[in-house]
Amino acid sequence: MGDLVAHTEQAAGEFDTAATSSVTSAEGRVHLPGDVHMWVMVLGDLTIFGAYFIIFMVFRARNPQEFLASEQHLNINIGVLNTLVLLASSWFIARSVQAARADDHARALRLTYFGGLCGVGFIAIKAYEWSAKITQGYTISSNDFFMFYYMLTGVHLFHVSLGLLILGITVRELRNPRRRRPFMVEAGATYWHMVDLLWIVIFALVYVMR
Amino acid sequence: MSSTVSTDSSPTAGTVDPARPPRAGKRDVWLVFWIVPAFYTAFGVIFFALARVMPPPRPDVTVDQMVHFFHAHALTIKIGFGVLVLIVGGAGISNGIVVYHMKRMTVGSVMAYIYLGSMSVGALPGCLLVAFSFLTAVYRPGRDPQILAMLYDLGLLSYVGSLGCFSTAYFAFAVAILYDKNEIFPKWLAYVNVWQIVTEVLTVAIFVSKAGPFAWNGVNSFWLGTVIFGVWLVCVIVFLKKANELQPADEPPLD
Amino acid sequence: MTTTAARTTTYAWIVLSAITIVSWWLAPGHAHGATAVASVPITVAVIVLAFIKGRLIIQYFMEVRTAPRWLKLFTDTWLTILWAGVLAIYLY
Repeated sequence: MGDLVAHTEQAAGEFDTAATSSVTSAEGRVHLPGDVHMWVMVLGDLTIFGAYFIIFMVFRARNPQEFLASEQHLNINIGVLNTLVLLASSWFIARSVQAARADDHARALRLTYFGGLCGVGFIAIKAYEWSAKITQGYTISSNDFFMFYYMLTGVHLFHVSLGLLILGITVRELRNPRRRRPFMVEAGATYWHMVDLLWIVIFALVYVMR
Repeated sequence: MSSTVSTDSSPTAGTVDPARPPRAGKRDVWLVFWIVPAFYTAFGVIFFALARVMPPPRPDVTVDQMVHFFHAHALTIKIGFGVLVLIVGGAGISNGIVVYHMKRMTVGSVMAYIYLGSMSVGALPGCLLVAFSFLTAVYRPGRDPQILAMLYDLGLLSYVGSLGCFSTAYFAFAVAILYDKNEIFPKWLAYVNVWQIVTEVLTVAIFVSKAGPFAWNGVNSFWLGTVIFGVWLVCVIVFLKKANELQPADEPPLD
Repeated sequence: MTTTAARTTTYAWIVLSAITIVSWWLAPGHAHGATAVASVPITVAVIVLAFIKGRLIIQYFMEVRTAPRWLKLFTDTWLTILWAGVLAIYLY
């Protein structure tokens, strides 16, 4: 029996590369970042979340005054801060992909760390926000709005955590001169941007709209 | 121990079209495989038509209504869940054949054992508890309504509710698929497992919700979760079949 | 990678952040005690801005701008169905 570490080290080869685009990015050429499998994940996840968002709107429409009144109790400053932090993290990650393509792996690594740090910051801010709300008496059972609030931001938080794990895999990829496969860095970035994208929707629906 | 799958199993390999490898696989594994869709079909009939657990009856009802539910469906509950406790080994078989193919991956066996252990632990709270609760509820007519109400809640909370053991199994499965160089399963199947974890996370709210989308009969907790589970199950069965087909009949036995 | 790509990415990020800060004004959460009132124009603005932000992330960060057509189609369709759906339910 091998153990997982030995085998994955030995598999310094691949995730399945059969489905990846062989074109490295250059302006004007069509290129699928990452690999098709990660896009199955992203597009499927967007579809599932899309359903959750529409369902949120349906329940909001049944009780718009209660939802609006409850929404007011959210701290918009924290909401904006969280959004800016996640946008910044996406910027770092997007730039890290560009650095990796230019073979500047030290820079790509640094930028990935910064992106991940922003992700950790997002989680910390969210934890603070939740504890503040709970202390003020707004719990998951308070009403429908708050149940949606905690559940949507909670399942998003799960995605952020998974994203940090994936960024960790990107770091591992970048640190090893025998790897540094562009499609791996791109795939991790694609997932991370999806996390950002989902938050943009949550922010609009739960914090801002009226 | 795991070995890289040999791609050339036939003596007349020169005529093999790599895009359409000949149907292969081992006879005993095929036998086991066909039990999987058979079991889940029976499972569907039991849970949807007989036990009336899918879709579940509402949580926001009175004790009298819960009592009425058990009276109205006592016969089909006894038949359905009575059969289930006999055939529930099919779940073990389904887990077993997945583990069998996971052990053929290059990542070694530890993820397979996590899958096996986690899914096995989950079988009682996740599937059998509702069977035993409901069978107990309909066992003696005239049981105290408060006790019937408790069995109603216990059964449905345990069945629909989140279970971290399943999430762990899905996670192990996903990791194994992504790191497997033998390509036993397609990489995107790993992400279908991640969606399953998402639905488990979403379902945790049923323990504090009595009505609405997050209750155990709600659109988020139950309906979306069931749809995604259906997708997962179909994909796993289809790709178990493919894994069987692509396995050379003369592949040496696993450790 | 040329600096054009870097600049484009940074511009996208700046626009995204600016729109976010604008949202701060639109949100009901800082009405300082006064009860927020539903507002169709504000919500329509929020929806349009969210659509734009989403598309910026998809096209520039996720690089769908230079991706195969099926991906452009899927993501644009997703954005459209989502926000049109949100708007329709809101207005209903």
